[in-house]
Amino acid sequence: MRIGDPLPEWHVEATPTFVISTALATRDFQDVHHDRDLAVRRGSKDIFINILTTTGLVQRYVTDWAGPEALVRQINVRLGAPCFAYDTLKFFGQVVERQEQDLTIEVVGRTAHGDHVTGTVRIEVPA
Amino acid sequence: MNAAIAGIGATDFSKNSGRSELQLAAEAARAALTDAGLEPSDVDGLVTFTMDTNAEVAVARELGIPELTFFSRVHYGGGAACATVQQAAMAVETGMAEVVVCYRAFNERSGHRFGQVQTAAAANIDNSWSYPMGLGTPAAMVAMFARRYMHEYGATSEDFGRVAVVDRKHAATNPDAWFHGRPITLDDHQASRWIAEPLRLLDCCQESDGAVALVVTSAERARDLPNKPAVISAAAQGSGRDQFTMTSYYRDDLTGLPEMGVVARGLWRRSGIGPSDVDVAVLYDHFTPFVLVQLEELGFCGKGEAKDFVASGALELDGALPLNPHGGQLGEAYLHGMNGIAEAVRQVRGTAVNQVADVEHVLVTAGTGVPTSGLVLGQG
Amino acid sequence: MTDIEKEAARIAEQGESAPRLARDPVNLPMINNWLEAIGDKHPGYTEVAPPAMVQVWTMPGLHGRRAPDDPLGQMMAILDEAGYTSVVATNSDQTYHRYLKVGEHLSMATSLEDVTGPKRTGLGEGWFVTTRSTWYVGDEPVAEMRFRVLKYRPAQKPEPVAETPEAQPIRPSVNRDTEYFWEGCRQNELRIQRCGGCGLLRHPPGPMCPECGATKPKYLVSDGLGVVYSYVVHHHPAVPGKRTPFVIALVELDEGVRMLGELDGEPAIGQRVEVVFTKVDDELTMPSWRPRADR
Repeated sequence: MRIGDPLPEWHVEATPTFVISTALATRDFQDVHHDRDLAVRRGSKDIFINILTTTGLVQRYVTDWAGPEALVRQINVRLGAPCFAYDTLKFFGQVVERQEQDLTIEVVGRTAHGDHVTGTVRIEVPA
Repeated sequence: MNAAIAGIGATDFSKNSGRSELQLAAEAARAALTDAGLEPSDVDGLVTFTMDTNAEVAVARELGIPELTFFSRVHYGGGAACATVQQAAMAVETGMAEVVVCYRAFNERSGHRFGQVQTAAAANIDNSWSYPMGLGTPAAMVAMFARRYMHEYGATSEDFGRVAVVDRKHAATNPDAWFHGRPITLDDHQASRWIAEPLRLLDCCQESDGAVALVVTSAERARDLPNKPAVISAAAQGSGRDQFTMTSYYRDDLTGLPEMGVVARGLWRRSGIGPSDVDVAVLYDHFTPFVLVQLEELGFCGKGEAKDFVASGALELDGALPLNPHGGQLGEAYLHGMNGIAEAVRQVRGTAVNQVADVEHVLVTAGTGVPTSGLVLGQG
Repeated sequence: MTDIEKEAARIAEQGESAPRLARDPVNLPMINNWLEAIGDKHPGYTEVAPPAMVQVWTMPGLHGRRAPDDPLGQMMAILDEAGYTSVVATNSDQTYHRYLKVGEHLSMATSLEDVTGPKRTGLGEGWFVTTRSTWYVGDEPVAEMRFRVLKYRPAQKPEPVAETPEAQPIRPSVNRDTEYFWEGCRQNELRIQRCGGCGLLRHPPGPMCPECGATKPKYLVSDGLGVVYSYVVHHHPAVPGKRTPFVIALVELDEGVRMLGELDGEPAIGQRVEVVFTKVDDELTMPSWRPRADR
């Protein structure tokens, strides 16, 4: 795990089931995450993924790569285009900083509409 | 003909490219030149669609092409696709240019969408007989033909759906396809909502952002370049009697595409091959019914028999006539037919992701319902 | 200092809101639901919770409300009143001081950190509102979050014509070659071009007869009767001036030419129809079809 190492590309199919089950599992009951009719009425093209889920996916992307021994210390995300139902969310990542056992990984999650999330994750890996 | 496609290039196919149409055109053209092993300074000709918003001079400026001796455009929307290559080939054969790049670039999904009703199009006198009456989308215009075709030959919505299923099956294994990994079943097709009865959502191709470019040069020069040339065995344009753009409803018969018949006759005569010699068919598939009609006009089956031909499994990769191995416009992307020409080149080279074995001749067609064009590409 | 900035300063001075206690302690069923939904196969979450779940514990829930002293809620209300009615989250920065053990009961308190604006953004003019939340176990801070939203006044977007059924119908363009037809419609006559040289009937019309080359087109007035040759039931997208679904029929008139028009009725190929004229305004009358009982 060195600076510049890329993370393998990872694709998440944001099916309606995925959008809704993650919204409920994160206790986010806003209608735009589970009710398509209301989401459309509010000007959205469909239901979309909530922020807590985005954060969870960013964490999963990094820990899937780093392994279960890695400890997550910080997740900073900047939010862009919504990830709608039926979108494919493609994750890309790269190690951008390493100080001894502390690594910083830059992560981008992108749909066809543009960047859904850009962020950094700080983890601590075993020596 | 003594010309060949020596290079192909494309951008990613998306729903929102995030860049200008000019950037897309320049990226695809540069990729095509790199593929051909040529430099922008080798280019002296450019061809595109009348509908393309990128002026030849603008593309030349972005690429740093110093001088152009040939620039040309072809009308009638997607009907122009194969004709751009025809223009390029004629320029090469007559010595008007040595290396011609054909390109098509648009933000057709995130920008100007053809699938919506274009109120401004009614300014055209021909369109004043359809748009004000409520017939204002390509899907609806094709649906008018499709309904009559069903009535005359007993074809059903499922017969149209089989075309979509084949395209999406092929797209499912093409990583560049928008619908990569997303095949559909005939039940999915039948469950999809009506767009313009008898057309369902899954009878209609997607809308896309992206660009494709092709490099045409003489067959001799192409043989010295890094990739195996796709030799242009024949190119043809066609317009039929009493032709309209999308609304040729006033002919005796509404079940054919006589303009494609004109193209077919030209292709078979010039290439010296016939339908039975075609190893792969890349047929324009913006709407499924016209794939059936094309099969008939091109002579792969008799009038009204396309539904049985399709149901026989002929269009599968191991069938009698593998159709759109890249997934077509229903599956890969809607690039006004230009991505189909790129696929035909890959099939001739033997480098396609869904490669058909022992390909000698590939047939490509351009937009249907409009004056159109076609190509036969083959081994050098 | 603007009023919004004054209000922001006042709310910021209140400092941290009263801590809000999570509904449940950190627990395995909710952890497992979360892992299942996210698809995370990480084997380590049997005694501790995934860090990214921290906010889940203190979510207000299905019927939850913001506490009256919640600084974000207060600031949103002020910006709503000032006309910045839309909101979008832009940043969430979470720092986890340690992993949370099953059984620990969290509480969260929030303060207003920063309000800046008005800024021009792609969405419209708005204010960035930043809050800082701290999660506690007892008195121990265990995690923190800086959360930023853009509260904005949506930029005026032109209504997409195609999506507005009430929009004006599409009007034909009319020129010397076609004027006779639209003039006929105004007089409730369905006119078919007839060549002044050879008598060829033709629709759509044109200036030169393709049969004899004459350029003296005349017209006859059709009986307005015919049969449906083909038809479309249009569902999507919306068409200006029409309510979907609607039927457009290609009708073969008894005189032998075909013509498009909306059909008010159940469509079928072979259906006998007659013309109807609908006046749109003084300039335009549209022909359309309705079923006829005869035959």
